[in-house]
Amino acid sequence: QRIRSQNIVPCTVSQLLAAEQVDEAFRIRDVEISQVTIMGIVRHAEKAPTNILYKVDDMTAAPMDVRQWVDTDEAGGENVVVPPGTYVKVAGHLRSFQNKKSLVAFKIMPLENMNEFTTHILEIVNAHMILRKNLMSASRVPQSFSSAGIGDMGGYGGGGSLPVNGLTAHQSQVLNLIKNCPVPEGMSLQELKLQLHNMSMSTIKQAVEFLSSEGHIYSTVDDDHYKSTDAE
Amino acid sequence: IHPTGKLFVLSDGEGKHTTVELSEPLEEEISGVLEVVGRVTNQATIMCVSYVQFREDKSPFDLEIYNEALKIIHEFPEYFPFG
Repeated sequence: QRIRSQNIVPCTVSQLLAAEQVDEAFRIRDVEISQVTIMGIVRHAEKAPTNILYKVDDMTAAPMDVRQWVDTDEAGGENVVVPPGTYVKVAGHLRSFQNKKSLVAFKIMPLENMNEFTTHILEIVNAHMILRKNLMSASRVPQSFSSAGIGDMGGYGGGGSLPVNGLTAHQSQVLNLIKNCPVPEGMSLQELKLQLHNMSMSTIKQAVEFLSSEGHIYSTVDDDHYKSTDAE
Repeated sequence: IHPTGKLFVLSDGEGKHTTVELSEPLEEEISGVLEVVGRVTNQATIMCVSYVQFREDKSPFDLEIYNEALKIIHEFPEYFPFG
């Protein structure tokens, strides 16, 4: 099952060069990509009548060709060439021609705040990790997850599973008991209270509500009985 | 920066220092945050191939956070390959 990429994924040049082409699509280790962002330094800029060809270097591989089409009807404005030695953020489509990869940019912006570079490299690791996890757990019930610091270029794609260690100790305990319950109608709240002597009924109920809204458990015969979505 | 202009000392996000050597003396004044591309020598200095000064006119660059980010990306070579 492939995740169709409708998102714009931050990448390193080395990842783009390593991407395999399958029919019309590109894949980086099974994650499908099309629109990408890279961040690097302009090493070379060549202006032609219909386009500007840049070579952008992010130090993970040789500089990548980035082509920006120029609107010949518009005078000035869009057609300012970014000088070599400038750090830029490029958003564009990955292309391959005669086995050579390049980007067709729809946006090239010089970086005004170099801290964006730090964010970008972390977003690369985060995005690829999450996209890969989504592929692996594609059979799970999609859940919401919060991703800190998504840039103005948009998010990474649909649901994924929350890491179990994102739960509090109480929630983890309740979840584990429910997971390990062999009974078909699941674990009842009363049973949970019996097993968890240190927890009050309201704490247990709060934990159950949280786990249920996150999709880890679901109610069965009634609102007092729960089973885990993660049955072992 | 050394008086000859062929050597300067940089400190990184953890406060550690390193010496950068240039093949030609510096032709300009440099200050602030620099990114140096070069080779490590066996005297543990860096032989500089090129350098770039980071823009800090709009916002200062947080070198400590950048250092932390580097450590993270090195932990995940499968998601951040160095070609």
